[in-house]
Amino acid sequence: MGADLAPDERERLRRVHELLLAAGRPPELPPALQLVHAEEPVRLLPRRRRAALLALAAALALAVFGAGYIVGDRGEKAQPGRVVAMAGLGDAAGARASLAIFDADDAGNWPMELTIRDLQPLPAGQTYELWLVRDGKLVQQCGVFAVKGDKTVVPLNAPFKLKEYDGWIVVRRGETEPLLTT
Amino acid sequence: MHEVALTDGELIERIGVGDRDAFDELYRRYARAVLGLALRRLGDRGRAEDATQDAFASIWRSAQRYDPARGTGAPWLYSVARNAIVDGLRQTPEPAAEAFETPSEEAGPPERAEASWIAWRVHRALETLPSHERPVIELAYWGGLSQSEIAEFLHIPLGTVKTRTRSALARLAEALEEEIR
Repeated sequence: MGADLAPDERERLRRVHELLLAAGRPPELPPALQLVHAEEPVRLLPRRRRAALLALAAALALAVFGAGYIVGDRGEKAQPGRVVAMAGLGDAAGARASLAIFDADDAGNWPMELTIRDLQPLPAGQTYELWLVRDGKLVQQCGVFAVKGDKTVVPLNAPFKLKEYDGWIVVRRGETEPLLTT
Repeated sequence: MHEVALTDGELIERIGVGDRDAFDELYRRYARAVLGLALRRLGDRGRAEDATQDAFASIWRSAQRYDPARGTGAPWLYSVARNAIVDGLRQTPEPAAEAFETPSEEAGPPERAEASWIAWRVHRALETLPSHERPVIELAYWGGLSQSEIAEFLHIPLGTVKTRTRSALARLAEALEEEIR
């Protein structure tokens, strides 16, 4: 450090130097933890290891897909009870999403709002799907959507017992390769 | 008031009444510190990432119980995060990285707790550095680069590296005033 520093200032900076060495490097945040975008980062379900999910989902023969459930306007005051972070994989590694889950209604519908960022828009007529997964398999579809621009917000619905599932993934319609996972 | 100008304690108070912008700012300030704490405690990256999310969920839920009269925000956050990480460890009792019951010549629990707290404070202080100063510190201390190498790496003059280093250390000294006394 420069010789022009006063002794007490030099001592302060030396202590900082020691603290930096003692603390060690702070970890880099993985994509899934990069940002929570002002939402409660509560995971509803246990996180699945992405590699395992990739392998299992790739092996799955997807035969069924259907329409998503679109819920009406919940009003601006609605606050999600939980928000699940989703991270991109493979070709969609730069994408991320958050799935806000609102309180279920009396019929067991869980209104959700999927906010997707930096997911590649698809050619006209092609769409993405959000699925609930269990043991690496796509089990219940929660909706179909398209994206445009850097950010797309999609209202969805899951009339299922969510605790019975391990998490969500986003796939291209008719495919099984996960593009985003919880 | 913009969230960036608020203290940690003020942010926690706002989170306590459901302010999600305040939560976002607090997350930005502390995410790496919480992840670092979880990594030291759990020793496994995947579990540490899970624990980090659990810790912030716990912060969100507990914020309304924060009492500024009992202390500033950082110790409260540290305590809540640490408890959430320990709770997660109990629920998934895989072998921890730290063998607490094994006698060794390494630092005991009090020393480890002190080290964790200091690392927490240092990592948080790093988040306060301007974006042009932090890389200089990280490259110097954890990248193993000399000042000349940093200058070459960042494509800036050597004098600028020295200026930024000194400025960054001075900022850190201010942020870590309690620790360097």
